[in-house]
Amino acid sequence: MINTDVIIIGGGTTGCGIARDLALRGIPHYLIERGDFAAGATGSCHGLLHSGARYVVTDPQAAKECISENLILRRIAEKCVEPTGGLFVRLPGDSKRFRDRFLKCCEDVGIPTDVLSPSRAIDLVPELNPMIEEAIKVPDCAIDPFRLCMLNAISSRQAGGGFLIHHEVIDIIKEKGRCVGIKAKEKFTSQIKVVRGKIIINATGAWGDKVAALGGSHVPLTLSKGSLIISNHRLTNMVINRLRPPSDGDIIVPNEAVCLAGTTSISVKDPDNIKVESHEIDTIATEVDHMIPKFGSTRMIRAYCGVRPLFASGVEDTRAISRGFRIIDHNNGLFSIIGGKLSTYRLMAEKMVDIIMTRFDKKVPCTTAQIPLDGQDELTGYPLSKRLKDMDDIICECELVTRADVEGVMNRIGTKYIEDIQHRTRLGMGPCQGGFCTYRALGVMQEMGRISPEDSIRILKTFLEGRFKGIRPALWGDQLREEQLVESIYLGILSMSSK
Amino acid sequence: MYDVVIIGGGLSGLMASIWLADRGKKTALISKGDPMCCLSTGCIDVFGGTSSPLKGIEKPPRGHPYHFVGLEGIRDSLNFFKKIMAGSGLNYIGDIETNRGILTPLGTIKATCLVPQTMKAAYTGDNEYIHIVSFKGLKDFYPAYITSKNENAGYSVFDAGISTTVGLATRFEDTTFRREFVAKLKSWEIPNGRIAMPAVLGLSSSVEIMEAISNELDRKIFEIPTLPPSIPGIRLFRRLKYTLQQKGGDIYWGRDIASVERSDTQIEAVTIVTGSRPTRVEGRAFVLATGSFVSGGLYALRESVYETVFNLPVVFPKKRAKWFNEDFFDIGHPIEKAGIRVDRSFRPRHANLENLFVCGSILAFSNIMKYRCGNGMAIATGVAAAKSLDRWLG
Repeated sequence: MINTDVIIIGGGTTGCGIARDLALRGIPHYLIERGDFAAGATGSCHGLLHSGARYVVTDPQAAKECISENLILRRIAEKCVEPTGGLFVRLPGDSKRFRDRFLKCCEDVGIPTDVLSPSRAIDLVPELNPMIEEAIKVPDCAIDPFRLCMLNAISSRQAGGGFLIHHEVIDIIKEKGRCVGIKAKEKFTSQIKVVRGKIIINATGAWGDKVAALGGSHVPLTLSKGSLIISNHRLTNMVINRLRPPSDGDIIVPNEAVCLAGTTSISVKDPDNIKVESHEIDTIATEVDHMIPKFGSTRMIRAYCGVRPLFASGVEDTRAISRGFRIIDHNNGLFSIIGGKLSTYRLMAEKMVDIIMTRFDKKVPCTTAQIPLDGQDELTGYPLSKRLKDMDDIICECELVTRADVEGVMNRIGTKYIEDIQHRTRLGMGPCQGGFCTYRALGVMQEMGRISPEDSIRILKTFLEGRFKGIRPALWGDQLREEQLVESIYLGILSMSSK
Repeated sequence: MYDVVIIGGGLSGLMASIWLADRGKKTALISKGDPMCCLSTGCIDVFGGTSSPLKGIEKPPRGHPYHFVGLEGIRDSLNFFKKIMAGSGLNYIGDIETNRGILTPLGTIKATCLVPQTMKAAYTGDNEYIHIVSFKGLKDFYPAYITSKNENAGYSVFDAGISTTVGLATRFEDTTFRREFVAKLKSWEIPNGRIAMPAVLGLSSSVEIMEAISNELDRKIFEIPTLPPSIPGIRLFRRLKYTLQQKGGDIYWGRDIASVERSDTQIEAVTIVTGSRPTRVEGRAFVLATGSFVSGGLYALRESVYETVFNLPVVFPKKRAKWFNEDFFDIGHPIEKAGIRVDRSFRPRHANLENLFVCGSILAFSNIMKYRCGNGMAIATGVAAAKSLDRWLG
């Protein structure tokens, strides 16, 4: 049994941010996560560090938080943020009145803007639709959510904080009506671990109500699915937004060698049962085409979706619900923190930990906005040059991941999960989407004695099924060719079947 | 002016070319590059779902290309294939009556019809010990997958100083390397039984290499086909290409078709790009054997599918949402029916072209993954289209 002061459930940015804040304020804590870090909405978002401009007309409060956090994160999380800048492009037919309001609201909230002529905008982003009326430059950035979680977790660990990943909370222990601990089950071995604490924080996003229910509480959530699509090329070096009220397919974000385009907004009931529909992809591709005409003819490598956990407010249109966050005190030792955005995760953590400090009657101020994240010295940004140095024994040709990289991750974190290797090395993130390298990485894990050949085949099957779900909605063109090749390898040459 | 211009240098196009060249026709083969069969196991799957391919052939629905070839036609084409291969030092074993099992790198058993002689000993029903010899650093071959599924199997790893299948196959062509290899294996005192190796026993003289090692060690040896690049697939392709050259066929390799000239009812010529200069290739008849999506004969847009050389009418499931089944392992995705519909003479339907014949995996309703008939169908339709064309030329 583990004893601690604060138990955090959920290893997204919110949970990891809380862990770091607690660490900096000297509060013992333990984080429990069902999958790997960033497995929920954090890992399936746009990877956009908002300037706030996207919400400035509809939700000025959220916009204000965004711009203030944007400036903080550029400073404290330098190696996770690519300060690309963003453009809001106005196409023929887009409302000029909205544009005027947009500029006015940006000024009110304090978001710096620069109005660019079409030719100046095209100088910055050559693939932009030449028909645009104008573009407004704002300080949007690209951000790496997984790396952000990891770096927050490093601070937590350095202060003695613990975490359990791949552990699902299956029960909240109650004594005399108060929540005093949790039971967590390891995914692979089904082993149960018990963690006891004085306060439990439910930072599980879309799973918030399910987890709160374990403690006999309820969280009013509206779940909104958003789908995105990844293009095989970096078609823009800036974030591109459509200058109109938030709608489908109006954002495209450059991320390392690719672009992420989205999103959609569809109400869903169960966050564990979501998938991308072909028509969503068509909508996104059609809309994004208006901003970057080359997008439609570019190879798509995968589609994915995440669930926005929005505070239920009785509003029908999920896009109209505030992206602000709420902290709910269930008055039994359990708190739920819901809503909010990736861009404002640090602020959410600060507010949450302020409340915890009051409960513990301690007065240590928050310093997360001043102190840079630990562990950034080891990061080199997009380390292509570093990766090209060691070309021997490449396991993943798309992302240049070597056998030594795979072995290194396994030695460091002792994992049995292929996803953990993928997140930490980018193995399988390229055009073939792990079609070749997963089989190899599993072979290496097996040779290292980490998993048995039987487990390895089981994992491979699960991986192939999951991979296909992501690829299926985006299958046309070159991606369809590659998929049929992958199929011929696993189902033909290797004669695999689901049995 | 050629008698026949064949577009597509895969198994189907090569078989059609060889058959026609064998009949004294002046042929030109145009290919963009190395074909899909280089990525295959090198085995000839004819129909995988039944214990006998012969019984399976009748099963697919009416539009399947096998029905246009007919049972005797399929049998003849396979015999023709075996005959050419027998004369070339790359023997194929098996017949249309039975499927054989070959071991895969995952330890599963794959059913196939004709296998290269180097895989002959893999056919098992018994429980004899199998010892796998793998190579250090080979990234697509992990023998524990196989040994974990077979109690009576073990493995050792040989360090050849190189870790690609093509590199290893090249080494095995060298007698000094082979001597070292055999000496090492002898020193391991491998238990009695058969020896299995990933398929790297030479690029061209695999049968001799296998027999030489087998004699030295006094063990039966068999090869396990690997992931692409697959050496048995490359051997098959190279041998067929060589055979075609021997029979006097012209080959334009690595060439894209830039334009097509057609009259009302005929294709008259195609233009290919050689270096900086276009070359016009004229023919009395044409064969289209450019393959399906993977090979680039078909290309899918978001809403439609087109044929890439002549823009022939293509049949395909209309809604993209329905192109693929939900589950990866649910084989027989609707999109696999996509392709060119032909009549019994292998001419494309609704194209009004009397001198164009279509064969191979570009044919509609072939459903290769579902029926496991890829290389078999390529051979059968390649030869059948060639025969039909030959009758028309007279």
